[in-house]
Amino acid sequence: MKQTLYLAWRYLAFHRFKTLILLTSITLILYLPVGLRVLVNQSSEQLTQRAEATPLVVGSKGSPLELVLNTLYFRSDFPEPMRYAEAQKVQSSGLAPTVPMYVRYHAQGYPIVGTSFEYFDYRSLRLQSGRFFTLLGECVLGARVAEALGAQVGDSVTSSPENLFDLAGEYPLNMGIVGILAHSDSPDDDAIFVDVKTTWVIEGLGHGHQDLTQREAASAVLSREENRVVANASIVQYNKITPENVDEFHFHGDISDYPVTAVVVLPPDQKSSALLQGRYQSAEERAQISRPSEVMGELLETILTVESFVLAGAVIVGLATLASAALVFMLSLRLRRREMETLFKIGGSRASVGALMASEMVVVLVAGIVLAAGLTFLTSQFGAVLVRALIRM
Amino acid sequence: MRWLSFIAALSIGCGGSEPSPDIAPASSAPTFSVYTVNYPLQYFAERIGGEHVTVSFPAPAGDPASWSPDAEAISAYQQADLILLNGASYAKWVATVTLPTSKLVDTSSSFADRYIMVEDAVVHSHGPEGEHSHGETAFTTWIDATLAIRHAAAIRDSFVSARPEHESDFHQGFAELERDLAAVDERIEAAITGGSDVGLVGSNPVYQYFARRYGLSVPSVHFEPDTYPEADGWHDLEHLLEDHAATWMIWEDQPIVQTSDKLSDMGIQSAVFEPCSNRPDFGDYLSVMETNAAAIDRIFSAQ
Repeated sequence: MKQTLYLAWRYLAFHRFKTLILLTSITLILYLPVGLRVLVNQSSEQLTQRAEATPLVVGSKGSPLELVLNTLYFRSDFPEPMRYAEAQKVQSSGLAPTVPMYVRYHAQGYPIVGTSFEYFDYRSLRLQSGRFFTLLGECVLGARVAEALGAQVGDSVTSSPENLFDLAGEYPLNMGIVGILAHSDSPDDDAIFVDVKTTWVIEGLGHGHQDLTQREAASAVLSREENRVVANASIVQYNKITPENVDEFHFHGDISDYPVTAVVVLPPDQKSSALLQGRYQSAEERAQISRPSEVMGELLETILTVESFVLAGAVIVGLATLASAALVFMLSLRLRRREMETLFKIGGSRASVGALMASEMVVVLVAGIVLAAGLTFLTSQFGAVLVRALIRM
Repeated sequence: MRWLSFIAALSIGCGGSEPSPDIAPASSAPTFSVYTVNYPLQYFAERIGGEHVTVSFPAPAGDPASWSPDAEAISAYQQADLILLNGASYAKWVATVTLPTSKLVDTSSSFADRYIMVEDAVVHSHGPEGEHSHGETAFTTWIDATLAIRHAAAIRDSFVSARPEHESDFHQGFAELERDLAAVDERIEAAITGGSDVGLVGSNPVYQYFARRYGLSVPSVHFEPDTYPEADGWHDLEHLLEDHAATWMIWEDQPIVQTSDKLSDMGIQSAVFEPCSNRPDFGDYLSVMETNAAAIDRIFSAQ
């Protein structure tokens, strides 16, 4: 047997080019479906992790998927806004802390995430440089946003109007960058974070302008009658909030009526979670409460259906490749007829010649299986890291 | 197929492991940190919280109503376990800074329907949003001792919620504070109801809640204790006196001699009723309120 294997090894080594092609084909046939499965599983786990770290999300009634994608991944179209009072209602219930989210506007193509200071604690986000925002109009950039824009602490970004033709709409707000987050390998890397009140300023619900009682604003004043001052649109409205003019900024009306796209709710236990979910079951309720893990689970089921089609395709391609490999072996047997006749003439039995031919195939197959297993192992260990490194390039 | 593009993007963007929520304040800490926006709230919190609470109020001397904290002070507020707000539009800087919403406690929300609107606030309009005004709510709520007790009750409740293991201590601290505040209230009420009929005028519009509590009419001018009023100010006072016969002006601090002499010439005596919105140079909130009560006693017992 040892001699047979030696002869097989020498044959494969001599025809190394043909052996290499066969080995590569068999390795890839085995690796592709298995490796794909491993990568999909890893992606699913990562998606699920973020969803599972977000126990409950409250938003306006509508598509739960849109709500979750907007709140967790800042990707979807912004869902129908709801009143900030909903966040206050959950907070005042004492059942769970809340984190308001208003993900609607963009700056230079990146989503502006209006939220509260708690968001950074909740997602365990750390600063790479600078500090977290403290004043209205300050922003903190995700790591990839900062890299893409080449931005540093002290620079600024300007919000983009939703509609260029809405001349009476929101003013672009120039926001000072006070901090840059460290990489978290999450959607937070691709977002610009501001206080939710800053998004309300972008929307025009809060604004800062010259004091109409001061002399500098006289040219904008149309009439002044006792305590009533009427000004025209030429009054200087600030499009950048600085420590000097921040006191001039103010909000009109009741903050409770201001919009948010969602409220992340963080119940400390199952009982609080159940109580909160129960409060949103009424048909008259204008808000919905979603469990992101369930919403993403349903989405992943759909993805797995697609994945099974991809796997089926890979298996068919694999079978075709295996058939080709078998053909290569059979053709090589025909080409090696004279070689086999020589082996018979020098005393080789039919069984030993057959074993020699078979062992060549077995060696190639076993080597292919070992290589595919090795690649799958490497994928399971370093696949996620590799994907992240590629993304950061 | 739109969601497929989402998936590609999402799986790329979600490489990191997500942490578990850790937003709830740790309840195992021996004391917890409380920040306030004025001195009365600090005093109430210290009386109620006792040794279980570290209360900070980082504003410098002066009127905290016009104070805006710098970034360092805001960071300190952000790190607190609880932030006690006065409500009633007090501390306008709160609206323009980032504070953790789950830690904010509006201590006057239970009596928001009793806020007093300032009648002479400037109303203005520009653009499509229509007529509006800024800072139209009177905010010195704590000079009405009955409202001060309700501030204190809100503080007690927030402490109990944050540190339920010390509930009995918080209730005891509140009960003692309530007794002291009620005593001040009774003393002032007794002085006013048992005293002579006196017309009061405020040196500044900060006495609205005091006036309402005791059924008084205290219109005001805009006089500063350390500055001699300009002619317009005196004109406003004369105009006010045409409809309101006042014999005493109550001040936030002792007025300069020239001002009090001029008032005296007009038949108006001066007395100090400190709102005590910042730390007093001597004593504490309660002792200042007791001094205020003594001043009211003196005013209404004078012939």
